[in-house]
Amino acid sequence: MKLQQDGELMDFPNIFKGNYKLLAIPPLILILISLYFIPQIKMGVDFQGGTLVTLSLKGAADAEKLKADLASEGLKAGVEVYQTTTGYKAEIEVPQSTKLVEAEQLKSDFNSKLPKVSSLEILALQNSSETNNYLVKRAELEAISDKIFALAGISRSQFNITGVIEEQKAFSTAYLKVYSDYQSSISLPIEKHIAYDSISVQTVSPLLSSQFISKAINVVIFSAVLSVLFVFFFFRTFVPSLAVLTGALSDVLIALGAMGIFGIPFTLPSFAALLMLIGFSLDTDILLTMRMLRRKGDPREKAHWAMKTGLTMSVTAIVAFSALFILAILTHIPTYLEISAVALAGLVGDIFATWGINAVLLLWYVERVNA
Amino acid sequence: MIDLLKNPKFISMVVLFLLLLSGIFFYSTFSGLLLILSLIVFGLLSMTWKDPRIKLVGLSFMLLLAIANISLHGLKYGIDFQGGTRIPVLLEKPVSSDSMSELVDIVKKRVSVLGLTEAKVRAVGDTQINVEVPSSDEQTIKFIEDTLSHQGVYWGVIDGKVAISGEDIYSTSILPLNSQQLVQSGADWGVTFSVNRHGAEQFAAVGKNKADYPVYMFLDRPTNAVLLLSKAELRKSLPEDGSEKEAFRSLSNALSLDQDRNISVYVIEDLNLSALPTPKNNATKVLISINASDEIKSVFNRSGFIVTEFSEVDITPSYNRTKAGVLTVGSLEAVGLLSAPMLSPSLATGVPNYGFSVTGSVPGTGAEKTAEAQANVKKIESILKGGSLPVQISLGSRTTLPASLGKEFLRLSLIGVVASLIAISLLIGIRYRNLRATIPIILISISELIILLSILGSFTIDLAAMAGIIAAIGVGVDAQIVITDELLKKTEENIEEKIEHAFDIIKTNVIVAALSMIPLLFSGLVEIIGFAISTILGSLLGYMLSRPAYASIVGLIVGGGTERDKNEKAV
Repeated sequence: MKLQQDGELMDFPNIFKGNYKLLAIPPLILILISLYFIPQIKMGVDFQGGTLVTLSLKGAADAEKLKADLASEGLKAGVEVYQTTTGYKAEIEVPQSTKLVEAEQLKSDFNSKLPKVSSLEILALQNSSETNNYLVKRAELEAISDKIFALAGISRSQFNITGVIEEQKAFSTAYLKVYSDYQSSISLPIEKHIAYDSISVQTVSPLLSSQFISKAINVVIFSAVLSVLFVFFFFRTFVPSLAVLTGALSDVLIALGAMGIFGIPFTLPSFAALLMLIGFSLDTDILLTMRMLRRKGDPREKAHWAMKTGLTMSVTAIVAFSALFILAILTHIPTYLEISAVALAGLVGDIFATWGINAVLLLWYVERVNA
Repeated sequence: MIDLLKNPKFISMVVLFLLLLSGIFFYSTFSGLLLILSLIVFGLLSMTWKDPRIKLVGLSFMLLLAIANISLHGLKYGIDFQGGTRIPVLLEKPVSSDSMSELVDIVKKRVSVLGLTEAKVRAVGDTQINVEVPSSDEQTIKFIEDTLSHQGVYWGVIDGKVAISGEDIYSTSILPLNSQQLVQSGADWGVTFSVNRHGAEQFAAVGKNKADYPVYMFLDRPTNAVLLLSKAELRKSLPEDGSEKEAFRSLSNALSLDQDRNISVYVIEDLNLSALPTPKNNATKVLISINASDEIKSVFNRSGFIVTEFSEVDITPSYNRTKAGVLTVGSLEAVGLLSAPMLSPSLATGVPNYGFSVTGSVPGTGAEKTAEAQANVKKIESILKGGSLPVQISLGSRTTLPASLGKEFLRLSLIGVVASLIAISLLIGIRYRNLRATIPIILISISELIILLSILGSFTIDLAAMAGIIAAIGVGVDAQIVITDELLKKTEENIEEKIEHAFDIIKTNVIVAALSMIPLLFSGLVEIIGFAISTILGSLLGYMLSRPAYASIVGLIVGGGTERDKNEKAV
């Protein structure tokens, strides 16, 4: 038995017949819209720092009322309530505390001065001629701890400080108090006003969020460089390579724009989804380019053939991520929601970017070379 | 079929399969790595050996291994799916990746002492470590938090008195000796530290006239306990010329301490059951080997002791001999005695001294010697720092997810996996309207899914990995689509050429997918590494096993056997 012939397959008209250059208009419009919305992307807790509290509520609740209740306790936070298949869920997002940022800075200042002051104190213990020098440096260290004592709302007299060792202990105590004060400034109002079954608190310190940012930037640079090198090495012709990369870049821009429009926050999971999109969008671009450059036949027919395969690929991926998206809507698991929403936006964007931009550039190039 | 049994390639694959299967059976901890190894082995064989049946055998064996692994060891889930508690441990300052892995090991050890072997410890960035336990029991969690936040207490004891305590040591002054200082002191390794006035005066008073006495270095020495040893344990690392009596005496000396903090030593065989030691109060512990008889444990339990068990290694004392020939105890983990350097005569004069160093020599030569010396330096540094953690830590707010909610998430996610599979099958069915092309695609997608679940489940399936698995189903069929479309195209080429064209496209796709995700794999961003791993494994699996297998199935269907149709213009 033989498989069905090509003509009997589900078919659709060849959009590359006629003035194919017009096909670039929809993706260009999408990119323009995206460029406008990209600055509005909301940074998630991962990259911005701060605290995200997720609660499984005992019953229905009104987000606006909760927000007002928390504000009356001095907790300014964004509150959202969702109904999921597993009951009501509230998300409370508290921005990064300036106190915490300051405490973090003081800690690093303190730690950088500590070894020097310790060694001067040891010297001064054995040789009184070093005392003056030591006292100057010691005063600098004390000035730093006084600042953290002020932040923590405790006074130096509460400690019995005779030397650097005790100074260090007192500093740690004060630092931990700033931290625990911040945590209770969040947890106490929540305890008072919200009835919940389970609670998850994700605090990203200023230090951790800056690390996430720098790591993410490194990853993006590496991925981009590897992809660009690979594409150029693989095709070894300038225009097609550039067309492939333009297609992929447009796709990422459209995905980012969708994040701005639909309020999908930029978090580690959405970042992972963006990276996956680079790979996926290069997939369709490479399929197109290989069929166009390395196979015989009429360029517009080949483009159409590639599009049929490419669209099937895109649609299967869209179906899989839709399953994840529906799951995310039902459970409101942020990881699922962020990954699937970004992937869906990017996959739809990829259809426009690949067949509207990459294909148009490539057809124009191939027909000019042939002519 | 019969000629397959005589095929040497097939037979060698069977042998490999059995080897890998027994590996997975016996080494459950490495089952995930073994599965990845199997994937690579069978993948390379399927790619090099042209026989289409061999390609199918490769995929089937891989599938069998995956199923065997799931049924033997089950799948491991993160706390998102299992329920449990996550406790973030925040480090005071960023640490290098070496120190980080060291820290993770220490935290693991601390937590595993509690018998919580299921606890997962992993680094998040370079300032945080997450500890996850599959439990939401308040008492257990509190216990872990206490253990983690606890800073150890260091005591240096000379002749039954505390000569130096961690509270008087400048933590920033604890440093390894540099090579010049080592040459001067004639030692192989050394650690210096400085103390404040209180420390200097106390040491001067206690150490006076105690030259060549051992300084017993304790970390978290129990203050209210008795030690119970068997003769065998007492004798185990005793030098040949030592007697039991001598050993007992030196152990008693090492554990004596003033202010009622003495640890009395008893030998099990010499116990007089009618006149047992009595506990000081209801918090007195008896430190005993885990191998001691239940009878003796229950006797002590009944007389009011808290029975604390230790491994054979931890309760066995090691010994040294001083220059004067006196037998002393070198270490005994069960009581926190970790080292016992001798007091140098220059420190025994009674004059306060602010700078100290602990030095030693190690046998051997070359790299081995250096490594040994370095290990000693690390050990002494960590004892002096009064906690084995090289940086100060604090605990962040914990997250607790009830097991019921986790199970619900897992159930829904698995429904999501199945739904995605069904939707894609329908889509492929509609697209090709041809059962012969559709059924293999679906069967191969299911195999890919099982293999992927089995590999990831040997490590941990968390939310990101689950999202990656669902995604892999959608992306995984891509290659099958490329192959099918190539084969269905009316051209002048034969099947082999078409499959080759398809494979060119697929190969580049896999490389690109891997290239864009690999930087993420090495980024240390643990929250999303699961996603990267499942995406990369998904493409690798497809490229090396399922795609060759699919191509041979479709090839067989299309032409009724490739060998016969080699020169036939197909379709």
